[in-house]
Amino acid sequence: MTTAIQTKALTKRWGDFTAVDDLDLTVHESECYSLLGRNGAGKSTTARMLLDLIRPTSGSAQLLGGHGSDAAIRDQVGYLPGDLNLPRSMTANDAFNFYGGLRGPSDPSVRDSLISRFDLDPSRRVRDMSTGNRRKVGLILAFMSTPQLLILDEPTSGLDPVLQEEFRDLLAERKADGATIWLTSHVMAEVARVADRVGLINDGKIVKELTSEELRHQATTGITFGFEKPVASGAFDGVASVTAVKQDGTDMVVSLKGPVADVLKRAAELDVVRVETEQNDLDAIFIHLLSGGDSS
Amino acid sequence: MSAAFLVYRRWIRDRRLSTISWTLGLVVIVVATAAFYPSLSSASSSLADGSGTASGGGSEAMSSLLGLSAGIDPSTPLGYLWIGLYANVLPWTLMALGVALGTAAIAGDEETGALEYLLSGPATRTQVAFARFAGAISILLLASFVAGLSLVLSMPLFDLADSVTTTASDGTTSTAPGASVGDIAAGTFSSFAVALGLGGVAFLIGAATGRRGITLGGASAIGIGGYVLYTLSSMTNSLEALTWVSPWRWYVDDVMLINGLTWNVALPFITAAVGLLVGSQAFLHRDLRST
Repeated sequence: MTTAIQTKALTKRWGDFTAVDDLDLTVHESECYSLLGRNGAGKSTTARMLLDLIRPTSGSAQLLGGHGSDAAIRDQVGYLPGDLNLPRSMTANDAFNFYGGLRGPSDPSVRDSLISRFDLDPSRRVRDMSTGNRRKVGLILAFMSTPQLLILDEPTSGLDPVLQEEFRDLLAERKADGATIWLTSHVMAEVARVADRVGLINDGKIVKELTSEELRHQATTGITFGFEKPVASGAFDGVASVTAVKQDGTDMVVSLKGPVADVLKRAAELDVVRVETEQNDLDAIFIHLLSGGDSS
Repeated sequence: MSAAFLVYRRWIRDRRLSTISWTLGLVVIVVATAAFYPSLSSASSSLADGSGTASGGGSEAMSSLLGLSAGIDPSTPLGYLWIGLYANVLPWTLMALGVALGTAAIAGDEETGALEYLLSGPATRTQVAFARFAGAISILLLASFVAGLSLVLSMPLFDLADSVTTTASDGTTSTAPGASVGDIAAGTFSSFAVALGLGGVAFLIGAATGRRGITLGGASAIGIGGYVLYTLSSMTNSLEALTWVSPWRWYVDDVMLINGLTWNVALPFITAAVGLLVGSQAFLHRDLRST
């Protein structure tokens, strides 16, 4: 499998502050890798080092078999920064023409279809646009040259749910076409849907790497059983998949990981009168993992 | 088209409105100054005689700055244009434009974050630095040219192209020539040059630091400091050795509007070239600041 991004002991320090600490990671071609972490965890700093906008204090970063300092390598990268700033006088059309022109001739139909897909008025000045519309401009700029590698920093921030869905579809299409995608986010639910692998970064260090499969397995289910009168506290002892039980008056709140058949059978034997289910939020898992929780 | 040319063209386009504003402002200053010549020439004459000159070190410095100590007669067209325009207003305005452009080239865009997006693409830092420096020169050259042209076109309307004959108290007469296109070209070019030199200093500071405030403050301090240094050196010779750093030294001493271009006009071009080369290298080897 060919490597699209590789960092070796990549470190960035400003004085006493370490933004990225000894980062080793590999992203393969046509893979969607997501770096997930809280604000200030080192996600954007890593992206900026990949593109040679800032230089590592130590270690190295390789991009598409070369280095981000090489203009020919950057030519094959579509980048969406976390905070896109364009010259104030530019309209979206100006931006598409100028930044597109720097990459040489391209198929205008790709750009036009993206404009229509994101429902953008390209004649407006970027400075007069809302945050969401500016984000659309950034996404179109990143995707319109059909680059080999996409580096997207918080891509859906500011987009409404409909456009977020549109973005995910677009990402899936580009991935199917063979593009490699590097995505940073602090929303686990978002990356879980598109990423093949997720790296959790905290204080500049990768604390956990998971495949999307492993990530989904982190999800636990909570079931609340309601009874006519309180049942014995050990009523669910020994039932397969149950990880925790909490009694709340006549209710029993059962956490489980895995098949639910056995626990439902036991509840039925206890004459359950009410059942409520709840899937743990992926963000809760994210918080759990970053706070040092065991993810095995 | 090359990336450098696209960056150059875009940078100039982004400054269309401000370039028009600066240029129109210069035209208004130049034409208004020229328009006052007919009414002020006689008053200037008394200054040339010495009757309007106060005694003391301060006035010596001012006389030196205005070129009066070099025998420039403010009642003549060229003397008036030097004192009213070329000794201060025109170079100061062009220097302000030079500093603004030198700052905007790297530090201005870097502070807004616009430079980061540009450099994440296929344009190299060297291409961006050179293209924007070329853009700054083009805008400065355009503003200077239009200012000079507006003076050339308005001179005949305000008697500035006419020669002037004066009669001294002993009855002798002397004739001073009117301003010619060549005089205006030399004077305007020297003003452009001094502005370009300071613009190059601003570019250097901006490219090395990426900070707009430091660049504006540093370049302005050098421009104003050079002026103060030259003024003080006119009063006390002890500072004379330091005035080589002041662009005013050669600019005022040589009075190229009247005496024609001298080799000293190359000094600000050398300063600008050093600013470009050293600034580009510093820019090439440092981190881009994030917004």
